[in-house]
Amino acid sequence: MKTVIIKECGDIKTSDVYTFDLNKKVVKDCIGCWSCWWKTPGRCSFNDLNEFYHRYITADKAIYFVRVTKEFVSGNLKTLFDRMIPLYLPYTVYTSGESMHVPRYEKYPDIEFYYEGKFETHSGRQIFVDYINRVFYQFYSKNIIIKPIGEFIAEGDDNT
Amino acid sequence: MNTIILNGSPKGNSEKCNSQIFAEQFVKDMKNPCEIKCIAQNVPKELAQYVADFDAIILILPLYIHAMPGIVMKFIEELEPATSKGKSIGFIIQAGFIETAQHKYVGRYLENLAERLNYSYLGTVSKGEAAAIYMYPKMFKKVLKLLSELGVAYEKNHAFDDEVVKKLTNPYELSKFKLWLLRLVNKVGLGNIGWHKVLRENDVMDKRLDRPFL
Ligand SMILES: Cc1cc2nc3c(=O)[nH]c(=O)nc-3n(C[C@H](O)[C@H](O)[C@H](O)COP(=O)(O)O)c2cc1C
Repeated sequence: MKTVIIKECGDIKTSDVYTFDLNKKVVKDCIGCWSCWWKTPGRCSFNDLNEFYHRYITADKAIYFVRVTKEFVSGNLKTLFDRMIPLYLPYTVYTSGESMHVPRYEKYPDIEFYYEGKFETHSGRQIFVDYINRVFYQFYSKNIIIKPIGEFIAEGDDNT
Repeated sequence: MNTIILNGSPKGNSEKCNSQIFAEQFVKDMKNPCEIKCIAQNVPKELAQYVADFDAIILILPLYIHAMPGIVMKFIEELEPATSKGKSIGFIIQAGFIETAQHKYVGRYLENLAERLNYSYLGTVSKGEAAAIYMYPKMFKKVLKLLSELGVAYEKNHAFDDEVVKKLTNPYELSKFKLWLLRLVNKVGLGNIGWHKVLRENDVMDKRLDRPFL
């Protein structure tokens, strides 16, 4: 089972797993040029995510460790979401009763999404969780788990 | 009442930018048109300090992955809660998909954000099916007129006009009939004509389904 990790917080043991560290990388902001759909299908006009795209799209599971920022995802992570567009096709389908883009690839990784940070209210947390769920639903990830980081159990930690 | 309009599109004040067209329409018929600034062309922290001196902020933005573009979140990260009462903030979102229910996730976030910033919330106006406005402005005359009306009413009442908002937001969801029609259009292959024209012009029609990252 292939896993990728996308992290901006947490001291997680990630020895032989491909890790995309958002603390070390500032993702180039999407400029809305649509090259990824019209000019070079499937490829962004920036090259900074090429390895990430490959690792992500060939993984069975993507684990996110995310710092809640202003009760949302950070601007850097939001930019990473924006830059996922090349992984989908421009066509729109209506099978689910609403507009959705068509997958470009056969499968997308399952998601485990752990977040660190506080919310002022219960509804603030719900807004955040609903948003994350929605993003990965539209990204065609089949299984989506969203939890506070305290609930993350590293492999091998169960029986300690 | 001193209002600043912010354009949150990464395209900034380019002529291909729908948010910029929205912003210009919004102020077009005002007696004293508000200043418009582009987030893309400013340093987030400096812009956040600059807007703090205004009584009201209206942020016009494209929907990106069901929310604000990354650059707008970088700007939001720099906003501090208002120290005095009486400030207000509102949002105008425009997006590619037809139905504006797609905006509800970020709409709830923006309402919550306004409260935590100690700003009173003017609301979030949503417009779907807006991606092609810069290409065919003549086909969207009605929408552009509504935006100017929204601006005029805002200058007068410091609020978004309910009637105009309703017209812009429509349709919130796709009706059964509309769904049937859209599916039919897709089935007979009419839905992709526009895309395919552009792909052919760019000589990449045969590459359109490529999976370069496997
Ligand atoms: C990276 C990216 C993500 C987008 N995500 C959405 C989306 O989730 N829903 C939608 O309806 N439109 C989406 N759009 C379409 C834009 O909202 C639409 O094209 C808009 O008119 C662009 O405005 P602008 O010209 O002001 O940048 C997206 C566009 C881009 C480039």
